[in-house]
Amino acid sequence: MTPTETDWRIRHFIYADWLRSGGAPKASAIAAEFGLSRRDAGGALKRLHEAHALVLEADGGEILMANPLSAVPTDYCVTFDGLSLYANCAWDSLGIPAMLGGDARIEARHPLDGEVMPYAIVGGELQGSGLVHFARAFRHWYDDIVDT
Amino acid sequence: MLFRSEEEIEIWRQNESRVKGAVLSLNQVWALSRRWYGDRLAASFRGRTAAGAIQIFQSLGLRDSFWTAPPN
Repeated sequence: MTPTETDWRIRHFIYADWLRSGGAPKASAIAAEFGLSRRDAGGALKRLHEAHALVLEADGGEILMANPLSAVPTDYCVTFDGLSLYANCAWDSLGIPAMLGGDARIEARHPLDGEVMPYAIVGGELQGSGLVHFARAFRHWYDDIVDT
Repeated sequence: MLFRSEEEIEIWRQNESRVKGAVLSLNQVWALSRRWYGDRLAASFRGRTAAGAIQIFQSLGLRDSFWTAPPN
């Protein structure tokens, strides 16, 4: 089902709240913010999930991802203006400063040896290097967005 | 996933039994991020269509089928 205008306002709130607090808001907090029942808030989140506007946990109602942000710790930690945020992948680690429009420091954990690979955005320019492997072609991204 | 070299990607692929996907430099990914996420916080953001996504990929020179074949 297509998200409603209220659903899109909820999505906007999710990002704003996340960037204030450093973590994904719970469905109960979203319900309280918008004066909705827990069930109606869950319905809004489900519609946003189906529209690929966010990703819910596999077992239900809480937010797992609002790209580029991850609600759970990952191998990509981004520090922006004193706030530590987790990104879903290497692409999303750069998506956070792109979304916020400022400098960021990023620490990525290497998938083979676990070594920390630091890079940064300073004044709109990338400092650092590396190669990013995209495992799934665009046409398959939403077959399994967590694996993508 | 972020690697230091093509050789490391090959080792990871073999370890994980994964087919090769696409490889972009971190600088290319920064350019993609700016186009993809630059409007993400706008109140008017309503998601991205497949056609809109493909247009972004093509504008960055990503023109092969990995990037331009639309989802079913």
